[in-house]
Amino acid sequence: MSVVAQGSGTIDAIQRPRSIFQRNLNLVRELSITSFKLKYTGSALGYVWSLVKPLMLFGIMYLVFSILLRAGVGAFDFPVQLLVAIVAWTFFTEATSTAMNAVAGNGDLIRKAYFPRWILVVASTTSALLTLAINTVLVVIITFALGHLDLTWLSLLAPLYYLELIVLVLGLSMLLSSLFVFFRDLGHIWEILSLVLFYGSAVVFPFEIIYTHSKKLADFAGLNPVAQIITDLRHVLVEPDKIPSMASLIGPLAYIPIAITIAVFILGFVVFNRLTPKFAESL
Amino acid sequence: MSAVVEVSHLRKRFRLPLDKSSTLKYRATHWRSSSRYRDLIALRDVSFDIPEGQFLGITGPNGCGKSTLLKILCRIYKADGGYARVNGEFSAFLELGVGFNPELTARENIFLGGAMLGLTRAQLRHKVDEVFAFAELEEFAEQKLKNFSSGMQVRLAFSVAILAQTDLLVMDEVLAVGDASFQEKCFDTFSRYKREGKTIVLVSHDLNSLEEYCDRVILLNRGEIIGDGPAAEVTNAYHRMVADHALAAERDLPSDLSRGDPSQWGSQAVEFMSVSLLDASEQTARRFDTGSQMTLDMQLLVHRDVGDFVCGMAIRRADGLLLSGTNTFIDHVTVSSHSPGEMVSVRYTIDSLPLLAGGYIVQVSVHDVTGSDIYDFAAPAATFHINNMGGHVGMLEMRGRWQVEQERDAPTRAVRQTAG
Repeated sequence: MSVVAQGSGTIDAIQRPRSIFQRNLNLVRELSITSFKLKYTGSALGYVWSLVKPLMLFGIMYLVFSILLRAGVGAFDFPVQLLVAIVAWTFFTEATSTAMNAVAGNGDLIRKAYFPRWILVVASTTSALLTLAINTVLVVIITFALGHLDLTWLSLLAPLYYLELIVLVLGLSMLLSSLFVFFRDLGHIWEILSLVLFYGSAVVFPFEIIYTHSKKLADFAGLNPVAQIITDLRHVLVEPDKIPSMASLIGPLAYIPIAITIAVFILGFVVFNRLTPKFAESL
Repeated sequence: MSAVVEVSHLRKRFRLPLDKSSTLKYRATHWRSSSRYRDLIALRDVSFDIPEGQFLGITGPNGCGKSTLLKILCRIYKADGGYARVNGEFSAFLELGVGFNPELTARENIFLGGAMLGLTRAQLRHKVDEVFAFAELEEFAEQKLKNFSSGMQVRLAFSVAILAQTDLLVMDEVLAVGDASFQEKCFDTFSRYKREGKTIVLVSHDLNSLEEYCDRVILLNRGEIIGDGPAAEVTNAYHRMVADHALAAERDLPSDLSRGDPSQWGSQAVEFMSVSLLDASEQTARRFDTGSQMTLDMQLLVHRDVGDFVCGMAIRRADGLLLSGTNTFIDHVTVSSHSPGEMVSVRYTIDSLPLLAGGYIVQVSVHDVTGSDIYDFAAPAATFHINNMGGHVGMLEMRGRWQVEQERDAPTRAVRQTAG
């Protein structure tokens, strides 16, 4: 005689962790891992794409700007400079463009469940950070293999610039994700702005090119936090003696991009919190 | 006893834009007319407390504001005025499976759904097997959710939803899902919660389950509380409201009867003393199986010498739809009384109930043979529930017969004939 399997009748509930911070952190982790997984699910190469894409971008940029247009001629070890910049830029653009949909694309969660809404933004940034971490490891391996890895004491400053980049990205993400709910043109506007920023941030050429062209223009372009972060990352990571920092190019004006970064973060925070109560009704 | 939920003078209004457009072009060309809104008042001035350990039901017609109330309670919507405060931890099942992703496996979805409830991966790791056992999905742990049937998804979602320990549980119509056997399991869980003294808020249309589980029911209509009290009392008021609404559409009743107590009216020449439903063993019952016997027992008290009169009954679905009705006159049965003070017992027996699973309302009336003088009328006079036994679908059992004939030596080719 066969016995029909019966599921157990009860389930004992678990006490949630006392700390709200721990719960939120856990939710951020689950959401960001999920979105990272989903991005590559179903594709044959899976996570490999997260490595291939920036490498391809690097290859194309190197070919077009460095070899054909000779953008980096005279600059110290330009391929490595380009690599550093592309990794930072990829993070910036990936994080901000996915953040655009962090609130609007999760209408179901927002209408049906309560959790602090900023978790969605932080999770989207964290997901992009995972790619950044993988790419950074990749860059270190490549430069080491090519014998271009030249770390100095100054390189310890690199995490600070990464932190500045993350703060900037979080601020922009809060701003973009909350405004996008009410104003859908923002998606297209941000695409155009990103293109302007890409060329304005000296990703594919050394910032010194702007400086030697016109000091006035450099003073203006240097106010852009992305340009400052990329230039300074190159300065501390590639060769401090041969690649000038932003401060050495535009002087005390180099504090302004840092101030802008903080201002963007505060603005994003305020706008996001102001708009949060309206999300559930507007989606 | 302290209140787990305090709701005070809660107000909520939705502004519905008449033409929703959030593009730049629209804003640029219509910047002056941005104030074209229609206001929809979802909650007017709602106040109530829920003491610890109470099982509260909230019901009302569609659009009465019950979902809005729930969402404010769960902090999803923000109130325009007043406040709703929850003292303690709460779990909300506004919909089962919130946060689940069809592209992930069942196991991964447990971690994700659990995180939405505030549980960590480390805590959930020990529970995964238990969840699969409860959901009866052990063999499907590594299957992607998109390959699950909707019933399986619901089972998984419910099993995850009850994982978190809470002081308050808020549920919206989750009872209406899943197959009969799993529904039984859900009800068992709710009964257990009730025994454990958990505070529970259940929003539902199913008046039978509200009556069965709730200590107290709040009836909302157009954003206002119009009934608040013991479950049976409020669900009866709701039945009455629904039936009145349905009756208002019936032209054949004189409109002046609608004054006074809406549940009972008429000249009271003959009055209903009691109306009850009996099963085959003559016991009062509220739950019947399809095909079982049901007797409507009416005790009438005669106040005047009325002579011949007519006694009628009708069955309505819970939402007021008239299913069937008849009376003694139609069925050529004579009822008469010449002695005031006499008790008359009238019974209507249905040998085999043709109704399928659901909640039903019985209404009764007594009137003179012309139908112009209504002595007494009660709607609902009684309510009953038909148990879900699977099998036939819909509202009625058709009592039809299938016939299949097979012929061994049929011609090899079908011969099609066209008439005329």
